[in-house]
Formats: sequence, structure tokens, C-alpha cells
Amino acid sequence: MRNMKRTIVFAAITASSALVLAGCSGSNADESTATGDPIVVASVNALSGAATFPEASAAAQAVFDEFNAAGGLDGRPIEYTALDDKGDPSAASSAARDAVESTNAVALVGSASLLDCEVNADYYEQSGIVSVQGTGVDPFCFSTPNISPTNAGPYLDTQLTLSYGSETLGLKKICGLLEIAGSTRAAYQEAFDNWTAATGKDFAMLDDTVPYGGSDYTPYVIKAKEAGCDAIYSNGVEPDAAGVLKAAEAQGMTDMTFLFLTSAYSAQFAEAASFVGKGVYVPAEFAPYTDESNEANSDWRALMEKHDVPLTSFAQGGYLAANNFIEMLKSMDGDITRETVTAAFKAQTEGYETPMAGTPWLFGPDDAHSSNTAGWPIVIEPGATTWSNAADTWVTAESFAK
Amino acid sequence: MLQGALAGLAAGGVYAVIAVCLTLMAQLVKVINFSQAAIGMFGAFIAVMFAEADVPQGLAVFLGILCGVVLSGLIGWIIATWLPEASISARSAVTVASLLLLISMSYILFGTKPKTFRAIFPGPAFEVGGVVVSQVTVVMVALAIVVAIAAKVVLSKTGVGTTLRAIADRPVAAELMGVPVKPFAIGVWLVTGLIVAVAIAIVAPTQTSDAASLSLLVIPASAAALVGGFRRLDLAVIGGLGLGMLQGATAQFPELSLVRDWIPLVLIVVFLLWNQRKEVWDAAR
Repeated sequence: MRNMKRTIVFAAITASSALVLAGCSGSNADESTATGDPIVVASVNALSGAATFPEASAAAQAVFDEFNAAGGLDGRPIEYTALDDKGDPSAASSAARDAVESTNAVALVGSASLLDCEVNADYYEQSGIVSVQGTGVDPFCFSTPNISPTNAGPYLDTQLTLSYGSETLGLKKICGLLEIAGSTRAAYQEAFDNWTAATGKDFAMLDDTVPYGGSDYTPYVIKAKEAGCDAIYSNGVEPDAAGVLKAAEAQGMTDMTFLFLTSAYSAQFAEAASFVGKGVYVPAEFAPYTDESNEANSDWRALMEKHDVPLTSFAQGGYLAANNFIEMLKSMDGDITRETVTAAFKAQTEGYETPMAGTPWLFGPDDAHSSNTAGWPIVIEPGATTWSNAADTWVTAESFAK
Repeated sequence: MLQGALAGLAAGGVYAVIAVCLTLMAQLVKVINFSQAAIGMFGAFIAVMFAEADVPQGLAVFLGILCGVVLSGLIGWIIATWLPEASISARSAVTVASLLLLISMSYILFGTKPKTFRAIFPGPAFEVGGVVVSQVTVVMVALAIVVAIAAKVVLSKTGVGTTLRAIADRPVAAELMGVPVKPFAIGVWLVTGLIVAVAIAIVAPTQTSDAASLSLLVIPASAAALVGGFRRLDLAVIGGLGLGMLQGATAQFPELSLVRDWIPLVLIVVFLLWNQRKEVWDAAR
């Protein structure tokens, strides 16, 4: 009995310390000075689960906090709810219904999710709500009428990184290590086809069976070596891309160049990369934030640091999504309802310019939206532990077309 | 194909080391330790934490390994104190709980992003006919074999080994003879904790370094231990190395991609069925 009691006390201490640790992340929101009827906005995000992207909605929250502190929209604050899709389709579906029906949001802003678009695109269209996606990943983010992401997305990014490798870097044989989640294979194929059509180049070897979150990428890296490649393209997210580099290091592939996507772009990734072959190249979807001298990011950087949001591409996407939404609100006359907001975005004809993105962001009446079509080439040079600019301006798919 | 098989050997070495530890645990302290790899993972992450605080790498790795050893001892102490008479399934359930606790704690303490592991053994060791064998592969395979042989020698040739076997076979009799059962049991936990913490510290820099994938190395390792029926150390080593090579080789064929990640699980099912082949339904249950 005494043992039993001790067990319970021990369990209680463990559980409560875990709770305390989990609850440590406080917020330092500004006091809102806007006291009017709130404008309700929501987002659907991967906040828990296998891969998490909490920065986009945190950045959007920071923008809205700042906006409310400055008086909101004529005294009306923006009330923001970030919902969790847990990386799970059914949770994503219920989060969307929660946003539309319970929260009664006028729009979705700054969502960052692996599957929100695929699961909910039809529902958003039926409900007449628009989503200004902070980070779109799955193909439906870029091919449906009611979603317009601020980022370029992995498919266009793929086309850019391959074109940069084959044209600017002059790499002769590129091997592809492709990880497929859900229904993304066709969208990647389209990106490969676009690259081939524009440059006449193709993969020397493509393996599209590379596992997500694999523990050891040596067997795949070796395939690339056996195929005689001088570059490896990988669409892996941060840990996987790091795994590819580690496997290549153990194999002594010092002559290999690596072409990755924005998903591998973080300061931490560069620090962790003890080996980069002849360099790791990434076309950043937004102005490179690791370059502190780049003034395009100074407002964003100051706001993120003030609100303790980690500096990542996701935070850039969420920040831009929130700013685009506010800009649209300011341009609207009359009622702010879901119908009027949707109508305003669909009627947009002039894109919103920002130095943080290479092309203006636009919603408009089209059936598909992917207005961000530029990337800024950045590189981790051999021996470096930070990213540096590989070019001094943006590149687009058109800049490589022959 | 050969290159692929050799590439899988590093992973195979880790499987083999963990499989040897699992077998020792199952034999000596009657527990299938599902948190075996997680203990090493936690130690490795602690090492990274120290390294990030500018502690020299050698010292950081040492402190990380020490933490793994203490952690393993702690779980061992909990089981030896509160579940000394419990069945093997009840004890193993505790290790499932500690596996989950360690993964969640590492998410809370260290975050979900990959960590900066500096390689202890970087780069290739040698090349045979265009086939590169990495330093990590050589070290891991050697470690697996050395640990298995050392364990065998200690158990069969030394007084400590005799005592351990006595505790494993007749715990009550051993206790009545005045053998301090609990310290010996915790000692087994400490030693296996040390071996696994060292193995994970060596291999973590070459693997995907997030908490879940490092902790779940215990699944293929269990498959390897099953090859030896959780009894024979030599077969556990062969099983681990063979499994790693098989996975490496199948990665060279896209058409086998579906089965590749399932090989350890298929192996587990096949061996369980084989083990039970002569049992009649009622007796087996």
C-alpha cells in the first residue's frame, strides 16, 4: 500500500513537471487598444504531430497583436485563432469546420500545414471562405480557387533548384532522391517536366521511394554515387536533408553538390551541417533572413524578435499572409463579413508588392493561385556553418528558359 | 548490390549492439527493454546540449553517456524495487512507458528539430574495389562483436557471471544464498545502458537525429534479438548485421521499396510464428 502511494506520488510529480515544462512558453502580447467588434480570423496549422510548423501562425499573431495595439481597423481588433490539424486528415477537416462554423472566421490567414489544402480546399470553396496560406505544401494549395499561398511551394522550388544546378552551376548529372507524401508525386513530376522542357536536362537517376523520416540514407546516397552523379537533388525536410548530408559524409563524397529546397533552409541546419560536399544550394522562397544586412527583412526581423517567434521561412510566410490580409481590409469599404472579404480578394487585380518576396502576391478570380514564382539562391559553402547569398537577386523559372 | 549491403552494415552494427543488450536483459533481468535505444538517444541529446553550451566535444559526449547510464540504472532501480516478482510482460510494460516518456521529454526539452551532432568517427575508413566502408561501419561492427564476446566470456568464465546466471535462473534460491539480487540487477541495467549510450553516440551523427527515429531503432534490434530467440548472443549479432545488410541491399531496387521498411516487422512475425509452430492453440496462449 505504501509502495502504491509512493508510485502515485512519483507519477504525479513527473506529470506535473512535464506540464510545467510544456507551459513555459509564455506570450508577451501587446495590449490591444482596439475595443470595437472583433474581426475574427483563423488558421489551420501543423502544431503537433510528426512535422510541426508553429512559426507561421505565431508570426501572423504577432502582426495582428501589433495591428490591434495600434488601434486595429478603425477601432475594431483582429481576433486570431490558430487551430491544430495534428498532421492528421480528420483533425484537419474538423479544424476547418471549427474555424468556419464555430469560430465563424471571415477568412483563414497564415495557415501552415502539410495537408490543410488537400483535405479542405473543397470545403473552403463550398463555405465561400478564402485562405491566405502562410506556408502551402501540398499541390492543392496552388491549384484551387479559394487558396492563395504567400510562398512559392516545393514544386516551383524544385524547378528553381534544378534549373539553378543545371544551368548556373553547370552540373552535368543530377540524381534525384524524392520523398513522396500523400498525392504529391504528380506535382513533382510536373516540376521535373517543366525543368526538362525549359533546359533540356533530365535526371541521371531518380529514386522516388526514399522514405520520409528514414533513419539512414546511406543506401540512397550510394545509388547516386553509382549512377555517377555530380549532384543530388532532395526534397527532404530539415532532418531528412541533414540525413542525406550525413550519409554522404560517411561515404566521403567530397565532389558532390546538393540541391535542396527551402524546407532545409534554417540557421540551425547550416550549423548542424558538418559536411556539405561542394556546397548545399537552396532557392529561398523569401528574401534570405540569415543575411542580416538584407533590409527587406528588417521590419519582419524586429517584430519576430519582439514576440519571440523563431526566425524561419515559415515565420516570413505567416507575416506576409497577415500583412496581405490587413492591406486588403484597409482597402475595403462597408461591412467586413466572410462574403465581403471573399469578394474583395476575388476582385483583387493589383498584386501586393513586398521586398520580402520576388514577385507581388495576388489572389484574384482565377481557379488556381501561385503568385510567388521567385527564389533567392543561397548556399552553404564548404567549410562554412552559415548560409550566404549565391546570387544578389531573385531568379524565376523564366530566367533559365532557353 | 554489394555496395548497398555494405552501406546497410553500419545500421546493422547498431541493430546488433542493441540486440545483444536486449538479449542480455531478457536473460539476466527478465525484461524486454523497449526503452533501450531511447536511453541512448536521451544521452546523445544531453551530449548535444552540453556541446551547444561550449563544453568540449569529448567531455560533452562523456557526460551524455554518463547520463544514459544513470537513466538506465534509474529505470532498473524502479523495476527492481517495485516489480521484483512481476512477470516479464509487466516489467516490459514499464519499459514501454519509459520509452514514451523519454521521447516526449526530449521533445519538450530539446525540441523537434534535428540536432548538431558532430561526428566522432567522420568519413570513410577504406575502399575495396570502389566500395566505400565508412569508419562508423567498422567501429559499430567491431563494437557489436566485442560486446557479444565479452558478455559471453564474463557470463561463462567469471564469478560475477556465475552469480548473474544464478540470479537469472533461480532468483529466490540466489537471494536465500545471500546474493544481493537487486544491486546485480541494477548493475546489468547500468552496463547495458553504457553500451547502448556509446553505440548511439557513435551512430547518431550519421543518422537522422530526431528523438523518434533514434528511439525506434529498438524495433529492428528486437527483430535481430529474435533471430537468437532472445537467448543466443552470436545469433543476435548475425541477425543485426544481416538485417542491416538486407535493408541496404533492397534499397537498391525501387521495386522492393514497399517491403524495405517492413523487413524488421515481417521478420518479427515470421520468427514468432516459427517459435510457436509446435504449440497447440490453448497451450500457446
